Amino acid sequence: MLPLQIPTFQPRLKVVNREQALAIHTAALEILEKVGVKMEHAGALEMLAGAGGQVFDRNWIRLPANLAEEALRTAPRQIILYDHNGQEAMPLEDHNVFYGTGSDTTFTLDLETGQRRGCVLNDVGRFARLVDGLENISFAMSMGHPQDIPDVNYVYVYAFAEMVKNTNKPIVFIADRREDIGKIHDIACLVAGSEEALRKKPFLLNYSEAISPLRFPENVVDKLIFCAQKGIPICLPSGSNAGGGAPVTLAGAMAMGIAENLVGLIVHQLAAKAAPFLFGPNVSTLDMKSAVVSYGCPEWSLTQAALADMRDEIYGLPIWAFAGASDSKVVDAQAGAEAMFSIITAMLSRCNLVHDVGYLEYGSTSSLEMVTMANEMVAMARHFTAGIPVNKDSLAVEALERVKNAGPGGMFLTDDHTFDHFKEALFLPNLLDRSRYDSWEAAGSQDLYKRSNQEARRILSEHQVTPKTSDVLRDIDTLLERL
Amino acid sequence: MSYETLSDAVVKGDINTAKEATQRAVAAGDNIQDILDQGLIAAMDVVGGQFSKGLMFVPQMLRSAKTMQECVELLKPHFKEGEVTTKGKVVLGTVKGDLHDIGKNLVRMMLEGAGFSVIDLQVDVAPEAFVAKVNEEKAEIMGMSALLSTTMPAMSQTIKALVDSGIRDRVKVMIGGAPVTANYAEEIGADAYAPDAGSAVIEAKKMLGID
Repeated sequence: MLPLQIPTFQPRLKVVNREQALAIHTAALEILEKVGVKMEHAGALEMLAGAGGQVFDRNWIRLPANLAEEALRTAPRQIILYDHNGQEAMPLEDHNVFYGTGSDTTFTLDLETGQRRGCVLNDVGRFARLVDGLENISFAMSMGHPQDIPDVNYVYVYAFAEMVKNTNKPIVFIADRREDIGKIHDIACLVAGSEEALRKKPFLLNYSEAISPLRFPENVVDKLIFCAQKGIPICLPSGSNAGGGAPVTLAGAMAMGIAENLVGLIVHQLAAKAAPFLFGPNVSTLDMKSAVVSYGCPEWSLTQAALADMRDEIYGLPIWAFAGASDSKVVDAQAGAEAMFSIITAMLSRCNLVHDVGYLEYGSTSSLEMVTMANEMVAMARHFTAGIPVNKDSLAVEALERVKNAGPGGMFLTDDHTFDHFKEALFLPNLLDRSRYDSWEAAGSQDLYKRSNQEARRILSEHQVTPKTSDVLRDIDTLLERL
Repeated sequence: MSYETLSDAVVKGDINTAKEATQRAVAAGDNIQDILDQGLIAAMDVVGGQFSKGLMFVPQMLRSAKTMQECVELLKPHFKEGEVTTKGKVVLGTVKGDLHDIGKNLVRMMLEGAGFSVIDLQVDVAPEAFVAKVNEEKAEIMGMSALLSTTMPAMSQTIKALVDSGIRDRVKVMIGGAPVTANYAEEIGADAYAPDAGSAVIEAKKMLGID
């Protein structure tokens, strides 16, 4: 007899063992204790020194391991991001994986002409609206760095407002300094109803970057402390790409990136204990021919899978990751291969917040088609990762017996078991084409890029985003006018 | 005098062999400019060519540049005023507000490797500082880099500072960095845009009318 219920194993990728995880962690602590970091924010330097750090060479500081351990202890193990209406949307913890777009590409592939052109504010809105209409894309980033903003000092405020107007999904946002992040926070408070409501149910997360190796600029740390104080979840990786900002060997790049993250976490927790911090360095590679930071390389997938293992073994904090991106200049086979590679491995290794979906050209170009295509790849990955439920019903011996007993005309396709189960038992593609040759040809012999283009256009014309109230919209516009 | 051993060593990034060959040539009383041009810069031309064909990787190219620099150090005590010429003087830096310097450092090494003399103002360089150094050094080229779109306007401000000081027409301006585009370069009145370190050398040569 089978037991009543057999738990379903959900495929999980592991890439480092406990010994490797501990050795990388130890190296990160050694970097903090021996090499130190350059803290260019006077307040943070003072705070770190007061907590036991040793200042040397002006604003360089060495940090004892216990500061990192303490910060890891006080930071929350779960971060929940809500939608703009206060409904739980993304519980970032252990094994939950959420995908979203990236930020600030210089160019985008024009949906109408297919040409690569500079991004404008309207593109930010279109990407947000597309995200809103795609089932497997859970959060929005700006995607485009708009070039039509009158005052570049407020480009991130405009981009944030544009996203707020075009989606109700959580937003991961960029800011430059204390001043513009303050304005963005003001807009978020308008949307949430009050500062307290936003603190309780944040729908936003800030992405800021220190500079590898080991450098913490003043404006970046300003944002970090602001987020800690306001309860805005934040992620603070550096550019610890192997061979560029960091050692070329992945273990060394990870150790350094983690050390940098730990510094951010320490400052963050000293500024406000238990404030939400998303962990994770971005450890990609510097391409050794072009000197670009690769968005299609297997190494980045490998290091973030390793970080997921380290989360499980050591850190316990939800992690930041990337996927669904490519170094290809166009939506082609390379783009598909690289995007799928990172999407499936990010899910199999249980990365939590996975951004950059829809990037082309190592993050310099964005594509609505690419996001649309990736939405389906995420669905494939989810289907795979759900595993194979094994129970009396799914083993279906009775169905087999019925079909056999039905005689020569008996077949599974007409059996109730098939009718009842095919939708969850099988992956039913939407954009991936399995039609017979003749019907594919009759439909215009379209490739995936073309089909994704049409689907993106359809969503943008049909999908209705629940609008913000006219009061909120008016207040946002007033705020923008006063910049 | 053949500089094959020296050139080969520079191309391979074999610092010891290259230095020995340089010292031998100096000891033999060779013309310093010949050692520089026919031995070192000729080798870096080969390196540049191989790199642009994808036959060489960045770290190998940089090792060659380092090899060359170490050899130049050996030649320096023998330079006599006015006797040794470089391809041109370049003032480099990241613009005001920008602290990201990996790209700028690559450009510096490549320009030096190609025979330019580079004055590196490092990072976060104010428009006045660029202007002052260009003036002081009588530089032929000024190179600015920015990684952040928020610091890009500083490029335009720096060019304006050149104009205001009345030296804009005495120096060629080249810009680069991740968010920078050829269109932007044109818009702000720069003379050249270089998407990467290799192109920076090509653009620099083009602006000064060298090969």
